[in-house]
Amino acid sequence: MFIQALLIAIWAGIAGVDMFNGLTHLHRPLVTGAVVGLILGDVQTGLIAGATLELVWMGMVPLAGAQPPNVVVGGIIGTSFAILAKQDPNVAVGIAVPFAVAAQAMITLLFTIMSPVMHKADKFADDSNTGGIEKINYLALVGLFAFYAIIAFLPIYAGADKAQAIVELLPPKFINGLKIAGGMMPAIGFAMLLKIMLKKEYVAFMILGFILVTYMNLPILAVALIGLSIALYDYYLGKDRGTQAPQAVQEEVMSDGI
Amino acid sequence: MESNGYKDTSVQKVITKKDLNKMAWRSLLLQASFNYERMQACGWLYGMLPGLKKIHKNKGDLSKSMKMHMEFFNTHPFLVTFIMGIVTAMEENKEDPDTIRGIKVATMGPLGGIGDALFWLTLLPICAGIGAAIALDGSIAGPLVFLIIFNIVHFGLRFALMHYGYNTGVSAIAKLKENTKYVSRAASILGLSVVGGLIASYIRLGTTATITAGQATVSIQADLLDKIMPNLLPLAYTLLMYKGLKKGWSPIALIGITVVIGLIGSFLGIM
Repeated sequence: MFIQALLIAIWAGIAGVDMFNGLTHLHRPLVTGAVVGLILGDVQTGLIAGATLELVWMGMVPLAGAQPPNVVVGGIIGTSFAILAKQDPNVAVGIAVPFAVAAQAMITLLFTIMSPVMHKADKFADDSNTGGIEKINYLALVGLFAFYAIIAFLPIYAGADKAQAIVELLPPKFINGLKIAGGMMPAIGFAMLLKIMLKKEYVAFMILGFILVTYMNLPILAVALIGLSIALYDYYLGKDRGTQAPQAVQEEVMSDGI
Repeated sequence: MESNGYKDTSVQKVITKKDLNKMAWRSLLLQASFNYERMQACGWLYGMLPGLKKIHKNKGDLSKSMKMHMEFFNTHPFLVTFIMGIVTAMEENKEDPDTIRGIKVATMGPLGGIGDALFWLTLLPICAGIGAAIALDGSIAGPLVFLIIFNIVHFGLRFALMHYGYNTGVSAIAKLKENTKYVSRAASILGLSVVGGLIASYIRLGTTATITAGQATVSIQADLLDKIMPNLLPLAYTLLMYKGLKKGWSPIALIGITVVIGLIGSFLGIM
């Protein structure tokens, strides 16, 4: 069992990395199910459980940055338990869901913990240390691999019953709270962009973009095209006025104090 | 006047097709160091490095460019190479970092939306649907067919877009060369319109709280906040974070506060 759990853990690590990097999509349940079946010696059940999960979870993709329940952990653990407990492949779905939700909450924590590392990266950028930037990314990959491997190893090694009892110990409110926080996080990124880009003469365009989506439900592409038409108009208007720079640009340069 | 730009503004054609391919391979690690503060920024910079190293021989310029590329960035992980191509062309032409930033921000949002529609909602369901149908019949060909079809499209687009983006960038820059001041301004206008739209569409924040007055229950979100303005909370929260940053709060502190708010909201049952 230890060897099999270890092999599944390694496979989960590879799949977890693929989910964010590489994106060959070998991390989808359709593929992971078959490989888990191969490891546990029951390819047929693995294939069918994986394909069933795939159809159920077709819509679970990171749309607009929202993190859906984790298909890697859900797919691998669901299929493993269905095979180990000699259950019907459909049972995999029921087993997979709580693990997938719990794993995604852990991912929220991982993305939070990774944030302070960016200040190290800033330092490397400041010193034009390209090797440092590369090292951060490689180490983060190793971390991601280990994260998934451990999450997959423990429940399979401990056994289905014990694992489920532990997952149920996590208060749903805690998991839900992390999910809510995850939904709010982009606000910080946008605020950082605003801090760099927002000058008072541009506020109008931010308001415009916000209104176009809020009241007119336009997709971002439409907002960008409207922004582009204004930008083009402004560009040719400015250019036609000749060599005199627009007031705003001069102020900008001055405000940098150089 | 040049203070915002690069010190060494001599333009040399140094980027080869081989460099572009190398960067397209590196784009596979775009999300290796994903985090809530900068999202894909560090992975993005990792992908840009081979180009940046060749373009900026001046250490100060390389550092300036790297710092700009460490700023918040998030787009679709497949279509990112298109932006990489354009930005590489702009860097090679020693455009002002402010202009490059404007283009990055203006393109990342729309490409995110297009990528979602193209890959997650079209390509993936089609390929996975075909593969799952074969697999349910008990054939190992199911997963293989899925992987092969999906990745032919995936890698084909990833590499083609890198070259297409670069060529687009080169030809567009040639036309815009004389008027960098106006280009920078236009890029900011475009970029901020997109950021305004992103605030309204990407931040999920609402309240489930209700007020019970006798028989009537009033939902604070639907009956009060949405009546004032939909997306009021996402906008307010972004502005609050903006204020915090301006006051010198670190992004890490803001992330911590956000996690705490989420947990409190969940435990009180109001979010």
